[in-house]
Amino acid sequence: MSDQSSEPKRGHFAQNKGEVILREHEYDGIQEFDQKLPNWWLFTFYGAIVWFAVYWFLYYQLHHLRSDREVVVAEMKAVYEKKAKELEATLASLDDQTLVKTWATDAGIVASGEAIYTTNCIACHGADMSAVMMAGDQKIPLPGRSLNDGVWEYSGKPMDIFKIINQGSPVDAKGLNGAKMQAWGQMLTPKQIAEVTAYIIAKNPKEFSAQP
Amino acid sequence: MILVKTNTTITYDDTSVRQFMIASIIWGIVGMLVGVIIATQLSWWQMNGKFLEAFSFGLFKGEGLSYLTFGRLRPLHTNAVIFAFVGNMMFAGVYYSTQRLCKVRMGSDFLSRLHFWGWQTIIVAAAITLPAGLTRGKEYAELIWPINIAVALIWVVFAINFFLTIAKRNEPSLYVALWFYIATIITIAMLYIVNHLSIPTSWIHSYPIFGGLQDGLVQWWYGHNAVAFFLTTPILGIMYYFLPKAANRPVYSYRLSIVHFWSLVFIYIWAGPHHLLNTDLPHWLQKLGMLFSLMLWAPSWGGMLNGLLTLRGAWGQLRTDPVIKFFVAGITFYGMATFEGPLLSISAVNAISHYTDWTIGHVHSGALGWNGFMAAALFYWLAPRLWKTKLWSISLANMHFWIGLVGILIYVAAMWTAGISQALMLNQEDATGTTLKYEFVETLKSIHLEYFLRSLGGLLYLVGFILCGVNIFMTARSGMATNESVEVAVLPREKKDFMKWGESLVNDPLAYIFLGIILVCLWFFLPAHANLGALVAAILLAIKAVRTFRRNSQVWANWHERLIENYLPFTLLVFIAVAIGGALQIIPSLVVNRDKNIEGRLQELYTPLELAGRDIYVSDGCYNCHSQMIRTLKPDVMRYGRTGIADDFSHLGESLYDHPYQWGSKRTGPDLAREGGPVAQGAKHMRIGKRDNIWHYNHFLNPRQTSDGSNMPNYPWLFESKTDFKGLPKKIAVQQKIGVPWPAMTKDEIEQLAREQAMEIATNLVQGGVYLEAKPELKGDELRNYLADQKIVALIAYMQKLGAYREVSPEGGAKPTPLDPDSLRKAAMPLEPPAATIKPH
Repeated sequence: MSDQSSEPKRGHFAQNKGEVILREHEYDGIQEFDQKLPNWWLFTFYGAIVWFAVYWFLYYQLHHLRSDREVVVAEMKAVYEKKAKELEATLASLDDQTLVKTWATDAGIVASGEAIYTTNCIACHGADMSAVMMAGDQKIPLPGRSLNDGVWEYSGKPMDIFKIINQGSPVDAKGLNGAKMQAWGQMLTPKQIAEVTAYIIAKNPKEFSAQP
Repeated sequence: MILVKTNTTITYDDTSVRQFMIASIIWGIVGMLVGVIIATQLSWWQMNGKFLEAFSFGLFKGEGLSYLTFGRLRPLHTNAVIFAFVGNMMFAGVYYSTQRLCKVRMGSDFLSRLHFWGWQTIIVAAAITLPAGLTRGKEYAELIWPINIAVALIWVVFAINFFLTIAKRNEPSLYVALWFYIATIITIAMLYIVNHLSIPTSWIHSYPIFGGLQDGLVQWWYGHNAVAFFLTTPILGIMYYFLPKAANRPVYSYRLSIVHFWSLVFIYIWAGPHHLLNTDLPHWLQKLGMLFSLMLWAPSWGGMLNGLLTLRGAWGQLRTDPVIKFFVAGITFYGMATFEGPLLSISAVNAISHYTDWTIGHVHSGALGWNGFMAAALFYWLAPRLWKTKLWSISLANMHFWIGLVGILIYVAAMWTAGISQALMLNQEDATGTTLKYEFVETLKSIHLEYFLRSLGGLLYLVGFILCGVNIFMTARSGMATNESVEVAVLPREKKDFMKWGESLVNDPLAYIFLGIILVCLWFFLPAHANLGALVAAILLAIKAVRTFRRNSQVWANWHERLIENYLPFTLLVFIAVAIGGALQIIPSLVVNRDKNIEGRLQELYTPLELAGRDIYVSDGCYNCHSQMIRTLKPDVMRYGRTGIADDFSHLGESLYDHPYQWGSKRTGPDLAREGGPVAQGAKHMRIGKRDNIWHYNHFLNPRQTSDGSNMPNYPWLFESKTDFKGLPKKIAVQQKIGVPWPAMTKDEIEQLAREQAMEIATNLVQGGVYLEAKPELKGDELRNYLADQKIVALIAYMQKLGAYREVSPEGGAKPTPLDPDSLRKAAMPLEPPAATIKPH
């Protein structure tokens, strides 16, 4: 490889001339230039080191940056405050009558309630609300309670159904075979809960149309 | 004494090189094939064993096969690709180049053979134990303890063989490739041993001595640096030898080699905590992880530059020589992956990438692009020389290149898209801003196409690699295995390894560096004001160092020049450079944080049955798809936290007694940290958490029944294999030794307690009316007694306990603790109001 005509000078001679150095030593035929480090490369390296010092100084010395815990707690407080207001507003605008007469009769609302039910509820209450699944000809009970047998463990008033879905089974309740429903208010908005409630009402027409 | 320059003829041990290379190709095909299989499992759950029904002509019937589930095969894939494929490839490259760079045959033929056959035996043992569910439950460190010991021993064999070669070298000075090999050998030994410290409970099971946060920290110190020192530094060494050889050009810059080598090995070690960003890992560790990752960018690119710029004047070969093609693409992928790495280490970016497929895409651009293509370049260069012939087919090699490249691009693009789009969906709030818009399973369904494309990309890559195997095989057949002989000048003893320890350790450059590191650490760890003094001193020292260097640069350069003619001092300095980062991050957490730093929440102890269930969870590799860590991020707390509790992210104390920790690194399914709950009303041991026992029962039988669209495998064998009650006393005794405060119990009490709880859960299941299709004859009490013995009940017991804790009020608020910068920060800050708990309406 050393017979190229443009071969650079080697060793200190080249350095003194200000040319690119090709080092004297060869390793199993491998030669090494000794090029200067590219400036842009040095800049990124020094820049990252300086940034380290600056960031650490801002965070640990000046307390200028908030920790992610401080940030997330503040954000979550805001979420829960907003949610409480939202719920308050929903509760103020809803009552048993409105749910049965207005919401449960609106096809659009019932359809979105069904979509929410299908995603979240059928694992425990079954697609037909009977809380039973068929495996071949074998009836397998699901974890939840039946929602189409007219029995309402924690009151069958529409607004009470809404609250149970929102908050989950009451804290002091025994649950069904020990099982309790989680508070769906964490995953669903008050509006969505009202829509599911409307869907449940719509699927039990006899019962709820009889209510005053 | 008169020095007589004598010559001698040596024959290189190229047999070992051939063996390692062939092993690498075979294991590479196996490892990538397993990768393709597990990729398809994420698209089609039937690939977890049920597909065998169609292929076995009725011999196999079932919803799944334990040995083939994702949770067990994924560790097999990662271990095979890292340790079998890249490991053997690295050994081939190291054995070939070290002998030539030292102008001497390998230190000991016996050790070479022991190294080769020992390593292959370990791989076979891994391939048997991992699918059998024998695992330590820590990523890339899954192998059980007897195999760990074998790995450590064989690694020491490799080290002795390597250093023997160096010691008897006929070449005074160590070439940069050897620096990287030395760093690899030293660091991997250190990482592997510390991360595998565990106490056996039987021949096939052990608990790691670290738990919770400490285990996580040690794990990612290891995991991250396994990438650094197993997948990167040895390959850089290989690049430094084989690339200039292939291109027939001098290396671009010797001084860049020096600067990027030392900065790379020193900085890499510190970056481990970037795998735990936004978790409950103490903040100062997270900050170090992030900031050192950013500093790592330039040293990594130094390697890329020295590789690519070496080709200046030789770019023409890119068109004609497949070796150069693979080198250039491999080094380019290295540059992309090492740019992406620091990017993903920024907390805000990590919030999106972590736990999603973006990370998977990132590692594969490194593994397929860098490791796989560098391996191909090495093999295509070596084969004609090892068998004294020409490469069988250049066009086949070109075909390998293009198929492989297209495969990588499809793979990586699919994973980027999948990761980013899933993360954005997961984080998306609904119009009101108070709840999240999508269920987890909806986000999973949305990336089906990407998962399919990923399998396709992986398959293409595998096909390309098989072409490589064929090409190498045909090349070998067309030639004859030859061991190269050369005549070399014997190097007199005094020309190498002459440096006194004093000269190597007591000198200007090292004094400045060590003083600087000490001052910077004092800045980290000293209380307010005192730390400012350290910072000012560090800055002054840096200025002084720069001025001294300007004046004496030739003296410093000469010292380094002499250092690389002395392998022992060089090796010692490498060890110090790689040991500092880990020591400063891990030791404070070991001495300070364990019991004090629980952040007000103390994990409830497991019962014996729950421990048995946890071991099943670990054994089936559930951590490969589920995390147990709610990060300090709004969408995480909204999705997984309990309603109304603003600070319901995971706290340190919640996993204090978890050996091994199970925070996970990827969410193919949802987080499980809040699955557990309190003891059910009227029950003695049985807990009911977020979901009911029957939900879990049905879910393990068929996940799609409870969550439509899930890609989790069915777990029918959990209903047909028994819980290991008898092994519990020994396991609990070991846990007591490593600091888990189990109450004193006799062997009988332990077993009785476990059986009692199992019976309680089984009773609950049977009363709830569960049905077992596999055993239709069992009814009532018979079914109850049967289920109580099965693994499913133990696993349900664990699920219902997972994450349970009790509140512990911290004593007297935040106190500044030495070695804990976060407590110092808190103490110096004005008091913040305690995180309020808003009661649900």
